[in-house]
Parts: sequence; structure tokens; C-alpha cells
Amino acid sequence: MLLTGPREIDPAPFDDISFDLCSRRKDVVIMSADLSKYCQVVRVKNELPRQHLDVGMAEQNLLSVAAGVAKGGYIPIATCFACYITRRAYDQMMICMGSGSGPGTNQDSGPTNVAIGFTPGIANPARIHHQAAEDLGMVRAIPNANVIDPMDPTDFRAAVNAAVDLPGLTYIRGHRGDTPRLLDPAKFTFELGKTYRLKEGKGIGIISTGHGTQWALEASALLEEQGVGHSLLHVPTLKPVREAEIAEFAFAHNQIVTIENHQIVTGLGSLVTEIVSDVGGGPRITRFGLPNRWAPGGTLPFIRTQLGLDAKTLAKRIAEVAA
Amino acid sequence: MRRNQSITDLDILAAKIRANVLEICRQRGGYAAQGVALADIAAALYFDEMRPDDDGWFRDRFVLSNGHDAIMTYAALAESGHYKMDDLRTYNADGGWVDQSPIEGQLGFEITAGSLGQGPSQSAGLAWALRQQGSDARVYCLFSDGELQEGNVWEGAMFAAHQKLDNLCYIIDNNDMQASGHAADVMAVEPVPKKFEAFGFKSRRISGTDMGELLDTFDEARATKGKPFAMICDTRLWDGIDCLQKALPMAHYTAKAAVDWDAGAAEITATLAALDAKR
Repeated sequence: MLLTGPREIDPAPFDDISFDLCSRRKDVVIMSADLSKYCQVVRVKNELPRQHLDVGMAEQNLLSVAAGVAKGGYIPIATCFACYITRRAYDQMMICMGSGSGPGTNQDSGPTNVAIGFTPGIANPARIHHQAAEDLGMVRAIPNANVIDPMDPTDFRAAVNAAVDLPGLTYIRGHRGDTPRLLDPAKFTFELGKTYRLKEGKGIGIISTGHGTQWALEASALLEEQGVGHSLLHVPTLKPVREAEIAEFAFAHNQIVTIENHQIVTGLGSLVTEIVSDVGGGPRITRFGLPNRWAPGGTLPFIRTQLGLDAKTLAKRIAEVAA
Repeated sequence: MRRNQSITDLDILAAKIRANVLEICRQRGGYAAQGVALADIAAALYFDEMRPDDDGWFRDRFVLSNGHDAIMTYAALAESGHYKMDDLRTYNADGGWVDQSPIEGQLGFEITAGSLGQGPSQSAGLAWALRQQGSDARVYCLFSDGELQEGNVWEGAMFAAHQKLDNLCYIIDNNDMQASGHAADVMAVEPVPKKFEAFGFKSRRISGTDMGELLDTFDEARATKGKPFAMICDTRLWDGIDCLQKALPMAHYTAKAAVDWDAGAAEITATLAALDAKR
């Protein structure tokens, strides 16, 4: 399901995704908190202004107004940086957007509320305050929430299109700026919770999500050159996840590594560890991602190198585990 | 909307709502003092201002921001027949479904309101969506003066005014009382009307227990174009039941054994008799 040949770059994935969706669905409203340009919400704002709503520089307001818009019959897609939309407005995400649908609430199928966090993890150059290294874990802890970390413009588009038809809260990590097209839209079909085997092989099993899958594919190419056998599983949906698919993949390998653009606590690595631990007697799991300490700032290639997540170092670390 | 009824008719409904509050809260305690004080606002809102729809509910929308005040809605909707008193007597009971502070989707409750200060923004988003759809429904949001200490309230107010949401009416229960004491001592919120005016609202400060003033102010809010409206309703805990106000003026949560419920009920019975005689 991966594209072959020269790699194409999408300079503004969400601008097209949001414009195409809003052109098709007049019940969708893209919401901003003074960061429309920086989340690449440009065409909707300029060409479909009735479907764009800016609440000003106020993230709690973004999510609570969005929840009201949802109760009024529209489907809000709140956009902001991942750090603010989760940390700064977590209670509004959980209570206003997330407590009206599914088991334990009063409604089996409540209003649809979508939140997209851009420049997650070290995709943001400004260290500490702008880097959301814990957003996936935070939203994963909200009962009934859907949590998606897409790897490229194709599954990002599919996730957004799916989210507007899901009851309750869906949180998606967004891609901004030059983003490589990796999945073949003709061969990839997104289903909530489904996992995707991007490479079948013997040896070590790699499980990744979001930017982590981009990095895993880069490392995979180097490992292949070096003759290190491996398989690769892309997990775009962290919640609800098909646990049996993860367990089946994990138990087919003696060693598993997880790769994510997120702290190695509470994110994908933790998820895989929990699933394997619940079954018991599984493979050793080594978690690669951001450590539970403040990451450096700077360009993404620089930060990746600092954290041992650049392709070369990552391949070396995987090979060491495999050996 | 000024239905064909007198002020006295609505005063009687308010007295019955107060009686319901006592009957519900005497079972195992509750936010009785707030429910009693808000009875006139509830009577004006549910029995006059909000327009009924064809399905036995309301065309207009009410957003309760302060979950503690759910007792007001329960007591009023018991009087309208939407809730049964037998069910409401299970308020606050282990294993019951009548939550003391309800969750989104329960009849009469648009939002999960236990985390304070989130109603003003959600009601503004709702008002924006209804206007966008061309609906003539109005949105009312009740919140307390204590909630004015939450930043989210002012973010919502700024949005409502910027969007010129004249289909939105905030009702502020200005009772100068919060969990740990008088708002004036904990964190002063006055002057409330001026604050809302500065944010772009039309505002009016009234007595929250004067039915004539309440109806006039709802009329004024409905007639206001181009900006949202804030009605600041001065109340005090237990307004309408003097003996309980004297006995426990600083009530936040009223425990079952904290007051003489029979004395309160007797005062309401006398109030109802006097109102009946006026009619």
C-alpha cells in the first residue's frame, strides 16, 4: 500500500483536506484560535467563510464554543497546535466535547466533536511550551475518545473524513507544511482501529505511528541495505485499537520496537506494552520516541539527531536490539 | 414571551417550585438554598419566556452552566410534568439516575455542567450555530457570580459580543456566595453589569425574585438587536423562605439534618395561601 518511485511532497495537506471536506459537507465548521494560517486553514477561511469560525487566542473558548456549535447541529473541527488544544484546554476537551456520547454517558450516540492538534511532538521547533510530547496519552485517557496519529496526507485525509461521521470526541494529530506522500491512496483504506502492515519480513517487529512511521520507513530502508530482517506495522489509531492485531503482530516476533513522535510513556509504546502485558509471556518491547525529559528545540532534523531518532541512528538502535 | 397569565400566577408557580426543592432535598440533602433562591427565575423562564414546541418541549434552549443549580431545573420541570416527583426524590441517591449535577443529554440539561465556567462559551457556540441555520430559537444560559472568576466565562462573553449574538441571553445568579464565603471576600466580581457592558453586552441589574422585573427584562433582552444581553439577577440564598434564610444564611450544600424542612414547607404553604387569595 506504499507508493513507489520518486517521493512527492504535499506542501499544505490540511488546506486541501479541509477545503474538499467543507465543499462537500456544508454542516462542517473549521474552527481556529488565531492560528488558522499556522494550521494551514487558508482556502476555507477565504473561500468558504461561513464554514470558518475564529474564537481568538483562547483555547478553552475554542473547545467550549466548538462543543456548543456541535449541540447546535454542526460538526466542529477545532484546529490549533497540539500543545494548546490538549494541555491548555484539557478539561474543555474532556467535559465539553467528550462527555456526551457512548457508554457511561446519557447518550449512546452524541454530537460529533473533532479536534486536530498540529505540529505535535518535536515537529514544533520551540522547545517545551510548543512541543506536545504527551497529547496522545492525555486524550487516550478520556473514556470513549477516538485518537488518531496519521503518517502522511493520505491517512490524515481519511482520518478527518472518517471523524466527521463518528459520534463523540475524536482527536487527530495534524500534519503541517511539507509532508511526504507515502501511502498509495488507491490501495489504502482507512478504518478506525485498523493496523497496517507496511512491510512483511522475518526478524524484529517495528510498530509505529504518525511521524514515527515516516522515521520507521527511513530506518527500514537502511536496515534492508544492511540485511537486518524486520516487519513494520503502522498503527494510526491509538484508540480504539484492534488489540488482537497488535498482539498477533507482536507475538510473531521475538523482539519489538515502537517508534513515535511522543513521550515513550503514555503513547504508542505504552499502548503496545499494555496490550502485550495483558496477554502475558510476550516479546521484549523497546520503546523509541521522546524521553520523559525536555526535548531540545530547533529544526526537526536537528532535534531528531539529538534524540537518536534520525534515520541512521534509529536503524543502528533497531539493529542493536535485533542482535 | 408573555403568555396569557398574571404575575400572581407565576408567583404561585415559583412557590410550588420552592416546595418541590424542599421536598427533593429533604430526602438526603442537596443544593436547596440555591434552588429556592432561583425559583422565580425558573418560573419566569420555563413558564413564560421559553416558547413551547409541538413535541411538549421548548423551541428555545436553556443551558445551565452551574451544575449545582440543577435542583432549580428539576423542581421546575416537575411542575411542568416533565419529571415525576417520585423520581426526583431519588436525587443524590447512590445508584440513582437523578444526578445532583447532571451530565449532557439528560432531559433539561444541554451540557455537562459540573466543571464551572463552561456554559457561557457553549451557549454562545449554540447560539452561533442556531443563527447560522436561520433558526429563531433563543438561547438562555444561567451561571453564577462565582463563575465570573473563571477565565473561560470572559472568553465566551468576548466571542458572544464579537459575533453580535442577540439571540443569546446570559442570566447571572448574583448571590454573592461561593463555596468558601462571600464572593466579595473571596475574589470580588463587582461591578458585574459594567463588566458585561465593557465586553459589548447590553446589561441590566434586577432583583432575581421580582417577577415583574424578570418578565420586563426578558422582554428587553428579546428586543435588543446587534448584541447579546446579560441580566444580572441579585439574589440571596433561600430567598422566598424567610425562616430558612435566617436559620442557615451561608448554606452552600444543605445537609439533611441542617435545617427544619417542615418549617420551610409550612412557610411555603402560607405563601401559597396568600397568593391564592390575591388571585
